[in-house]
Amino acid sequence: MTDALLEVKHLDKHFGGLHVLKDINITVQEGEIVGILGPNGAGKTTLFNLLTGFIPADEGQVLLRGKSLREMRSNDIVGLGVARTFQLCRPFVGLTVLENVLVGSLGPRVKTDDIGARAMHLLDQVGLAGKAHTASELLSYGDLRRLEIARALATDPELLLLDEPFAGLGSSEIEALSDLIRKLHREQKLTIMLIEHKLREFMQLVSRVVAIDFGEVIAEGVPADIVNNQRVIEAYIGRQNPLELTQHA
Amino acid sequence: MKAFRGLDNFSVTGGLVALVLLGFLPTLFPGKYLIGVLTVAAIYGIWSVSWDFMSGLTGRENFGHSLFIGVGAYTAGFLNVQFGWGPWWSLPASMVVAAFFGLILGFPTLRLRGPYFALAMLSAAVIMQRLMLIFWEFTGGEEGIQDITPLIKDPLHYYWFVLALLGAITWFLAWMARSRWGLILRAIRGDEATCLAAGLPITTYKIASLIISAAFAGLGGALYAHYQLQVSPQLFAVVTSITIITMVYVGGMGTIFGPVGGALLLTLMTEGLRNFGEWRLMVYSLLLIFILFFLPNGIVAPTWNKIRNLFSQERP
Amino acid sequence: MEILIYGAVTSAIYALLAVGFTLIFGVARILNLAHGSFYALGAYGTYVLTSIAGLPLWSAALIAIAFVALFGVVVEKVLIRPLRHSQLGVLMISLAVALIVEQALFLVFGSEYRNVPSFVDSKINFGGVDVAGQRLLTLAVAAVAIGALYLFIQFTRLGSAILAISQDPEAAKYMGIPSDKIFSVVMAISAALAALAGVMAGPFLSVQPSMHLLPIVKAFAIVVVGGLGSIPGSIAAAFLLGYAETCVAYLISSSWTEIVSVLATLLMLVFRPAGIFGKRAAF
Repeated sequence: MTDALLEVKHLDKHFGGLHVLKDINITVQEGEIVGILGPNGAGKTTLFNLLTGFIPADEGQVLLRGKSLREMRSNDIVGLGVARTFQLCRPFVGLTVLENVLVGSLGPRVKTDDIGARAMHLLDQVGLAGKAHTASELLSYGDLRRLEIARALATDPELLLLDEPFAGLGSSEIEALSDLIRKLHREQKLTIMLIEHKLREFMQLVSRVVAIDFGEVIAEGVPADIVNNQRVIEAYIGRQNPLELTQHA
Repeated sequence: MKAFRGLDNFSVTGGLVALVLLGFLPTLFPGKYLIGVLTVAAIYGIWSVSWDFMSGLTGRENFGHSLFIGVGAYTAGFLNVQFGWGPWWSLPASMVVAAFFGLILGFPTLRLRGPYFALAMLSAAVIMQRLMLIFWEFTGGEEGIQDITPLIKDPLHYYWFVLALLGAITWFLAWMARSRWGLILRAIRGDEATCLAAGLPITTYKIASLIISAAFAGLGGALYAHYQLQVSPQLFAVVTSITIITMVYVGGMGTIFGPVGGALLLTLMTEGLRNFGEWRLMVYSLLLIFILFFLPNGIVAPTWNKIRNLFSQERP
Repeated sequence: MEILIYGAVTSAIYALLAVGFTLIFGVARILNLAHGSFYALGAYGTYVLTSIAGLPLWSAALIAIAFVALFGVVVEKVLIRPLRHSQLGVLMISLAVALIVEQALFLVFGSEYRNVPSFVDSKINFGGVDVAGQRLLTLAVAAVAIGALYLFIQFTRLGSAILAISQDPEAAKYMGIPSDKIFSVVMAISAALAALAGVMAGPFLSVQPSMHLLPIVKAFAIVVVGGLGSIPGSIAAAFLLGYAETCVAYLISSSWTEIVSVLATLLMLVFRPAGIFGKRAAF
């Protein structure tokens, strides 16, 4: 049994009077694709922000291969091999697609001399090679998502955190992106954590789901079990169309 | 595959040609007056280039650049007059002192969003000017420090020296701007949080670029001190900072070489307006407003790019 | 005792300046570097109207203030609003305006100090200290003006609209609040307050073309300390700074007073960028 890659223990966070995350415990093994499911406002992005050092936790531990990430700065955490994307795509305005990926290649983990070739290779993998010299502000939404992933991959991560990668995409784009994520997972030997609020999107993609609501973990298990989990269904009724949860034929 | 643009040969050649032409100008139109104007223009060029490297690339406009200039100039004055050191010491000393100020000011202010950083630096420059007046026993007050020894006695040779420095600094900073430094600074302009997410220590880069910017500004200040042979608190004035910013805007923000053209253009233009001496500030402010509204990309850099594209089309 | 009174007077002037500065920022997100120019124009306007046009002081002052308010509205509408997408563009243009005004004043009036007449010429003995009546009047006027502003914002419809926009400009727009008109109103108020400060303080503070620069540096210091966009914060910080400066002036030397503001600014920015009352951090 491999040691866990990531261990989150008793993670807790308040924003003023709001208790955003309550005693969160999650373990992620190497090579897994774990889905974090929850309705809007459940605290999923806050979780990512805590894991990557963008905001400090009040209590609890985050361990990467046993090493505590708590007091570390976000760019140092990237140096340890944790990369993330953002919910709202943020390309570097004024830089081309290739330059965007190059910036990601300047971090501490990348040792290759020829980062230009490496960047082009990454763009090729996500299917953006043809647009390498386009201004990044001109990309379509689907392409922006790919750019985000390429940029995150450029930092040479072990653990990739994707924040709602399918939001705003049409169904064929979602399929294409899922295929891409699967392929990258295989080829780069990544461990992936994925946030979504619609289970349907990542049903086929993830091996395990952690469901969160109001800052608490309410269920954990394989997708098939989660779909039928009473607490999860209740969390969604009244917040979103519950049919989205069950319609996964 | 080359990851970074690097300096293209056309621009480098163009720059060298321009430098040589500028060097020859006084021989075509002899006279101390022209040499003086061109020397000042070249120094403004150094100031503008140093501003552009930090503020033009990161988009964090520094409204207190005059502080580094004044600090460099006063260092030269102190060392030369108060302590009696030889004038050549001014050059490295001014850079070190100005860089130091860049460091201590950078730490608290670079965390601030653009406008607040600008205002904080502006306030710092204003206060520095005040301090020079308050401590008049040491700094000479309004009169400043007089009787500074020149670096090179012959004005023409001094001009060539300054011109050479301008060329070297511009080349260096342009090279930096097109290397990974420049890429990171431009990314910082784009989105700081994403830079952090890419694993880059942005605070280090911001402060470092401010230090570099300050060092060269201070160097320019020392050069100015050894040209004017005196320094006064006026160097710290807001006017200087605004003039430089205007020159950069005219030249083209973030292009490095553009501001040099902007500096030359505007210095020569103001000499032409010499008769309206008191109106100079007015003209600059009006020009700035005009450019902000109508020509946000400046004049020099876009024109040069057009010329360059023309040439690359002609090649087979 | 002297410190108490003079400190209060200084604080009152600073409060007038700071409240106007923070108001236009809180509502329209504009850092207006021409704010000091409103102060200068208030003083010069009164000077011109009394000594050249020969108007009585009261009307001269009122007309000067009204003129500056109008000037502020025009500057905002014509020069600042088109550049609102770029905060730095706004900074640059307001600074350009400030410099143009300074130059214009210099060209017209020269650099010697000018004399703005006082409302009250006599000295009053207040608590055992002889104070110029004008200074006490300034204190009173400032208190009244800020009090009036407070009442206006709390109890009128226009005031509520202003509050709404400062909290959420987008939402306010969707509720049909005409933000452009409100910006003009706020700018007018902001400029009027600064001009009022100039009119009242002109008689005992220096009046020359570059008089706009220190007020803007101080106003910036005050709003950083008090919290950008917070009016109570600005008032509190104005008093803090006013008294700090007065104490320094009496106990050490008056040339050190400027250092107080910048030190306060830098310290605040380093340790608590949101200021004492601020919700919106400076970064």
